[in-house]
Amino acid sequence: MAERLHSFEAAAVPEKRGGGFWSLAWQRFRDDRIGVSSLVIVAAFFIMVLLSALGVIAGNWNKEVGIHDAPPDLWGLLTPAVPEAVGNAAQRAAQTMEKTQSMEALPPSTVVDPLAETLVRLRGEDDALPENRIMDPLAETLRSLGADDKTLTVEKEKRASLPFGGDRWGRDVLEKTVKGSQTSIIVGLSAALLATLLGTLLGALAGYYGGRADDVLNWVYNVFSAIPYLLLILAVAAVLQQRGVMTVILILGLTGWTGVFRLIRAEYIKHRGREYVQAAHAFGVPDRRILFSHILPNVSHVVLVKVSLLAVGFIKAEVILSFLGFGVAVDEVSWGSMLNDAQRELILGKWWELAAAGGAMALLVTAFSLLTDAMRDALDPKIRVAP
Amino acid sequence: MRLVRLTGSAVWYPVLWAILWGALSCFSNAALSQPAKTEPRKTIRLAFPAAETGFDPPRVSDYYSNTVNEAIFERLLTYDYLARPARLAPMTAETLPEVTDGGKTYTFKIRSGIQFHPEPAFGGKPRELTAADYVYSFKRILDPKVRSPWAFMIEGKIIGLDALAATEKQTGKYDYDTDVEGLRALDRYTLQIRLLEPDYNFNYIAAHTPFSAVAREVVEKYGNDTMAHPVGTGPYVLKQWTRGARIVLEKNPEYRGMAWDFAVSEDVDAELVRIMQGKRLPLIDRVEISIIEEEQSSWLAFKRNELDFSGVGSFRSEVFDEKGEMRPAWREQGVKAIRAIDPELTYTFFNFRDPTVGGFEKEKLALRRAIIMAYNREEEIEVIRKGQAVLATMPIPVGVVGHDPRYKPLNTYNPALANKLLDSFGFKRGKNGFRTMPDGSPLLLKYATGTTSLDRQFNELWKKAMDVIGVRIEFQPGKFSDNLKAAKACQLQMWGSAWIADYPDGDNFVQLLYGPNTGQSNNGCYESKAFDALYEASRKLPDSPERNHLFLEMTRQMEVDGAWVLGVSRERNTLIRPWVLGYKKHPVMNATWIYLDIDPAKAP
Amino acid sequence: MTAYIVRRLLQMIPTMLGVVLLLFVLFNWVGGDPAYILAGKISSEAQIANIRHQLGVDRPAYVQIGIFLKQIVTADFGASWSTNEPVSDILKTRLGPSLTVLVPLLVLGTLLAIALSLVVARFRRTLTDRMVMVACTVGMSISILVYIIVFQYVFAFRLGWFPVQGWGDSLWTNLATYAALPILIGLCVGLAPDLRLFRSFMLDEIEQDYVRTARAKGLSETRILWVHVLRNASIPIVTYVMAALPGLLVGAFLIERFFSIPGIGREVLLAVERSDFPVIKAITVYVAVATMFANLAADLIYKAVDPRVELK
Repeated sequence: MAERLHSFEAAAVPEKRGGGFWSLAWQRFRDDRIGVSSLVIVAAFFIMVLLSALGVIAGNWNKEVGIHDAPPDLWGLLTPAVPEAVGNAAQRAAQTMEKTQSMEALPPSTVVDPLAETLVRLRGEDDALPENRIMDPLAETLRSLGADDKTLTVEKEKRASLPFGGDRWGRDVLEKTVKGSQTSIIVGLSAALLATLLGTLLGALAGYYGGRADDVLNWVYNVFSAIPYLLLILAVAAVLQQRGVMTVILILGLTGWTGVFRLIRAEYIKHRGREYVQAAHAFGVPDRRILFSHILPNVSHVVLVKVSLLAVGFIKAEVILSFLGFGVAVDEVSWGSMLNDAQRELILGKWWELAAAGGAMALLVTAFSLLTDAMRDALDPKIRVAP
Repeated sequence: MRLVRLTGSAVWYPVLWAILWGALSCFSNAALSQPAKTEPRKTIRLAFPAAETGFDPPRVSDYYSNTVNEAIFERLLTYDYLARPARLAPMTAETLPEVTDGGKTYTFKIRSGIQFHPEPAFGGKPRELTAADYVYSFKRILDPKVRSPWAFMIEGKIIGLDALAATEKQTGKYDYDTDVEGLRALDRYTLQIRLLEPDYNFNYIAAHTPFSAVAREVVEKYGNDTMAHPVGTGPYVLKQWTRGARIVLEKNPEYRGMAWDFAVSEDVDAELVRIMQGKRLPLIDRVEISIIEEEQSSWLAFKRNELDFSGVGSFRSEVFDEKGEMRPAWREQGVKAIRAIDPELTYTFFNFRDPTVGGFEKEKLALRRAIIMAYNREEEIEVIRKGQAVLATMPIPVGVVGHDPRYKPLNTYNPALANKLLDSFGFKRGKNGFRTMPDGSPLLLKYATGTTSLDRQFNELWKKAMDVIGVRIEFQPGKFSDNLKAAKACQLQMWGSAWIADYPDGDNFVQLLYGPNTGQSNNGCYESKAFDALYEASRKLPDSPERNHLFLEMTRQMEVDGAWVLGVSRERNTLIRPWVLGYKKHPVMNATWIYLDIDPAKAP
Repeated sequence: MTAYIVRRLLQMIPTMLGVVLLLFVLFNWVGGDPAYILAGKISSEAQIANIRHQLGVDRPAYVQIGIFLKQIVTADFGASWSTNEPVSDILKTRLGPSLTVLVPLLVLGTLLAIALSLVVARFRRTLTDRMVMVACTVGMSISILVYIIVFQYVFAFRLGWFPVQGWGDSLWTNLATYAALPILIGLCVGLAPDLRLFRSFMLDEIEQDYVRTARAKGLSETRILWVHVLRNASIPIVTYVMAALPGLLVGAFLIERFFSIPGIGREVLLAVERSDFPVIKAITVYVAVATMFANLAADLIYKAVDPRVELK
């Protein structure tokens, strides 16, 4: 139905546009204060994404710089790092050892244990394995490597708090959020571009040629839009197997093109009868050029608005994909993966990861949506009504 | 104009609606709390985290359906509620069976006078449980049409029963009236089972829920739809079932009843015995089970008093402090915490037929053991399990016959040593920091995984561990069934699994490593001659020190070969509201409501 | 008109065939082998083969597709593979809860969006318009997952205004207690997109000649909006709402899971997890049919109300 709306709007746009169209639109846009501030926010996000993609910022998001679940503290960077706190793995290991030892120190039992002798052998004599009935081909090597050297890895210094808190492994939530923005925005935009590309291409062909081509493409469209979206996503996700940013883009792009198709097809049907197209046709301009050099620029504003609408939708959809287990891979981070990680932590009072990812996402999506609105208003003067 | 009037009031409509709604909800809340008093008095409310599948004992394999079946149907044997380690006790049998013929013949005497719950299929007459019902129920397990997931437990064990299944293949008919030599009702109340080989674990099978007695008339009446029509002799009946959402059980009025009569086995039992001893069971009138898949939802429901029982799961730190003591806010509410370690084990297997990690060559042993030594289970317990698990030291977990707490594992966490080990076998680090195989070919681990957020946490931990030793690892998420299929075909390189005891005997676990079980339960396709010899020797022995010794040797063998990355046994913290009396976590039985009572004075 | 309807109905047949084909390919290719779930934790090849035979998945593809088509025609999808329950029973029990949440959500959401969009249209380009739009956009921009987690925690648990989760047996209990919070969340997420769309419908209408005429006649702006504009804008609104319903039916899975509502969306997730193909087939087919008919109905309403619309 959103498509129908766009076709209404598009109907009134004059098809012949001078170079002034875009500059007029820009002038209109400049007057829109909300639009401009949205643009600034979105631009800031994009710069952040660029910097993070270049590795200038958030390069260390995967490093465990803080203690587990480090609380947020804006001055956290000023507090000195401490050796990894007690009460964690090391202590637990010690407890386990203690438990085992206390078990061995039980008063002698009256029960005769015929295995006692074997057990003494098994227990104390790693180095004497040849005596054991089980041969360990690696025993010699391990001994020479110093299997008795029980030193674990050197304990690192960890921060007790971080500006935006830490996640369960002690990674900096701020860096994760920045890195997550990169993934989520790239996913949203690329998937939107992919879907738009697909939809535009197919829609243009169907709309322009009509007839058999239209029937076939329309059929494909009908089939795709008749299957419940959730099932379609689950199926495509299962087909793609591998996990990663690319997969998420493909899942969203391959399932999300139908809206664009419908919209562009309607536009092309409208335009193919127009004079400028007929004229180009009469001059013997090849179809390829008519399709993409003549008509496309005239519908490009519709496409632009659609891309940004889709991008917003896909950024949100990525969260759901993560929930369903089809999010980005383990060595990547996105807002979706962060929200899902933090899902159960709110109850425990660990609100910071949820707040950081959810807040960043809300900010970007709000700005992006308002920008889209402003863009649409600017590109489509008809909507602008004098009060 | 009509349209206009209608929509003209649109602004107020939602407001009116909201007011109406509010009024309605007050009213219905009042209305709801009213009949609650006339409902059965003693109700227990609990939640399952996953949907059940149905209530036909031999047909279902999931934990939760089994739990419900446990309360509706009855086995020949059951477990003593308090005794630890778990000890068998008679259920419909008068006593434990007479075992003769060197462990090959089991004779059960069934109590007379046990009635099935009335059901139209019985034609309005009382229907007594007899030995023939068990003959029928056991035969059903191997009926190809029933496609029981529990067939493996008696396949190839009972004289003549497999032949019956084989004839079905030719004739297409599985004839229940055919006399099977090893499975006979000698008289109305005597059941005789004769085995091909001695099997000292057969009593455990007789106590296993899928081997409950079902009535032939009922099965034949409902045909394919038996899952929704459970008719048993047990203490509860299915009152209401909204599939995947809600299961309500009520006390079976026909149930013969029993007295709470158990002896103290551990210190904590004394209090239970004091409160419960001699009470006539069952005391709980109604059991309401909700299926709540999301952990946050069920946890909040428990905290809001919408449930009487809850696990602790991810929320451990809310209830217990660093020392494991319950926090005062919870103590004040009178909530009790019952801790128990489940008779289960998590493990990650290596596929021994895989070109990268498989094989018994020395460098492959080194590779696998280095991987095992690099994986930090302490951190798994601390961060992922929220402290609710203990390290597994043997393939036989705590609380299962054959486990020895004194066993000292070989491949303990030691990434430094793991690195040295890989260095010494020529797994060289490349420029990017990742190692190659000794012959220079790339080294890439492919770890099969699921799609839940828990899976993701494990993958993060694995990735960290492998980064430390410079081994590249990739995760291949798939649906459980796909992974299982690939594993059975020996096509998964590594996969993390869990095994929960069907019965508390080590044999149930070490069989996972037995070579000939490849394609069935041995998903790592580990085929070690030395291990298989030890296992076969253990099969011939009853529970004894000799057999325990063999279990230890098997453990050492699988550790030397680096067959599994041993995981943990999960600790189950069950929280119960103060009005629930008599609860103790049982390692095998799950539907322990029959042994409980409710203190109406404390109940809300 | 009749000819048009007949043609549209006939067009549904190839679409349905396409759905069948796509579904069959996707779920046979990647849907997992149900036999391995049903066989339990220890199974032999013979058992797997036996199960596959009983389910009929070992038959040639064309036979299975043939059966599938027959199932669509007879509307009998057999029994669930995992529970043996007739699929029609499963859907029957699941549809009620889904609708109990969705219908009030849709009605409330639409009425609220209409009311707000009229207010916004009345004050278009003023601060009020801007504020309402920005507020709604912010509301829409927060992930539904965050809404669910936070609202469940705050409103149900902390404040105790709603039950945390659950589902009762009577329609009134469900509507009044259990469905309330899910509907509230649905409104927060869904109001903004609806409002934006409806606002543009209204603005579209305001541009029309009849509005100018009405203004010229001296009718008040409020009256013009609430009478003339609304009447005309209600057409795209009604069709939009109709077309949205089938998709929502499956789309509410997140809410259904967190609030333990036994609806269709939760069933889809469960069925996919268990490779329960009969259930997946049935739900897909019904949703596809509903989608197609909703679209047809939408187009017909269009035609009926606005004769200028050309049906082709």
